[in-house]
Amino acid sequence: MTEERFQEFLRAEARDYNEPPATPTDEMWRGIEAERAAREGRRWPQRWHHRAVRSPWVRWSVGIAAALVVGIGIGRFSGQGMPSGTQMAADSAEQAAESAPSPYRWVAAEHLGQVEIFLTGFQVDARAGIPLQSTTAPAQQLLSTTRLLLDSPASEDVQMRALLEDVELVLAQIAQLEGDEGEGEEEELDLIDDNIDQRSVLLRLQTAMTAEAGVAGGQGAL
Amino acid sequence: MEEQQLVARVRAGDARAERALYDEHVDRVYRLAYRMAGDDDLAREFAQETFIRVFDRIGQFRGEAALGTWIRSIATSVVLNGLRKVKRFRQREVGLEIARSAGGGQRQAEPDLKEKLGRAIDALPNKYRMVFVMHDVEGYTHQEISQQLGMQLGTSKAQLSRARARLRESLAEFAGEWAS
Repeated sequence: MTEERFQEFLRAEARDYNEPPATPTDEMWRGIEAERAAREGRRWPQRWHHRAVRSPWVRWSVGIAAALVVGIGIGRFSGQGMPSGTQMAADSAEQAAESAPSPYRWVAAEHLGQVEIFLTGFQVDARAGIPLQSTTAPAQQLLSTTRLLLDSPASEDVQMRALLEDVELVLAQIAQLEGDEGEGEEEELDLIDDNIDQRSVLLRLQTAMTAEAGVAGGQGAL
Repeated sequence: MEEQQLVARVRAGDARAERALYDEHVDRVYRLAYRMAGDDDLAREFAQETFIRVFDRIGQFRGEAALGTWIRSIATSVVLNGLRKVKRFRQREVGLEIARSAGGGQRQAEPDLKEKLGRAIDALPNKYRMVFVMHDVEGYTHQEISQQLGMQLGTSKAQLSRARARLRESLAEFAGEWAS
């Protein structure tokens, strides 16, 4: 009874909590139009736009790194036969990038394989309460590559783009973990863990790999 | 205009359809953003970013949930992630509130309770606060909350229950207000 009264009391008293003013519909619409036009106008660096703190030299260095990633991809894969070992597992993720040019597909496939291994380990450790002090650096590295891929032709495939965007979000959250105050750490971990589950990131990575295994080997070897 | 038709036109790049979609859903998005942010600039920023993402990702909307549910699931994600970045802002705001209440004259029961409740809600972890605000303040059902936050129905209920329990603890000195 007291609980019911408390709930009624709470609902009545909390009604004023951060009471919103009238919605500034037209003003916000103008803001949306301007922002979309601005982002459209510089399509290539779109991913970086809302990260306004990044300086121009960072964009240049990222552009150069992107060229290197692609160059490495071409060098590694174009003149060789079948990739070996762990590459085989990673290669299978390229299904999602089927429509992208070949070198980018190879790079994307390898990258997604690494992301899957990293996120699986992260989730297991986070749920077991194991300290996550060494996760920031690999998360940042994977995040950089993810962003490079988002700006490469690999992301022209809708499914690949969606997967990379979700991977980017989760990795960005993990990369920021150590910078946060300790008080909110548990909440942050919960949020990241939920994001991985809600977006079915691991499942989608695994599905992409399984699908690719069927296409590449015709035997579902993975 | 039917929802499916509207979505199809937005996908085709019809500017009028985009505006119609925006007009239909902006109010609830902005209200929720404002309730969570407690600040007009932030609420606008969150609402605008929500619709930018909606138009950017409309191709991914498969119609499994209602369009409004899908839009608000993007909004909750934008708000929760955005709030993490402005934690300092909120702490400063709470600090100002405390300073203001300390400088005030004679205490009146009603404003004091409201202030205390406001601070107690602010102090909830953001995920609990989101569920509490959606359910007890904005009147969403657990079904809607679970869909929009991508959680089980039971999780939504459990988080609301934990939020209320924390608020009850924080407001213990006012127990007479609801016991009478």
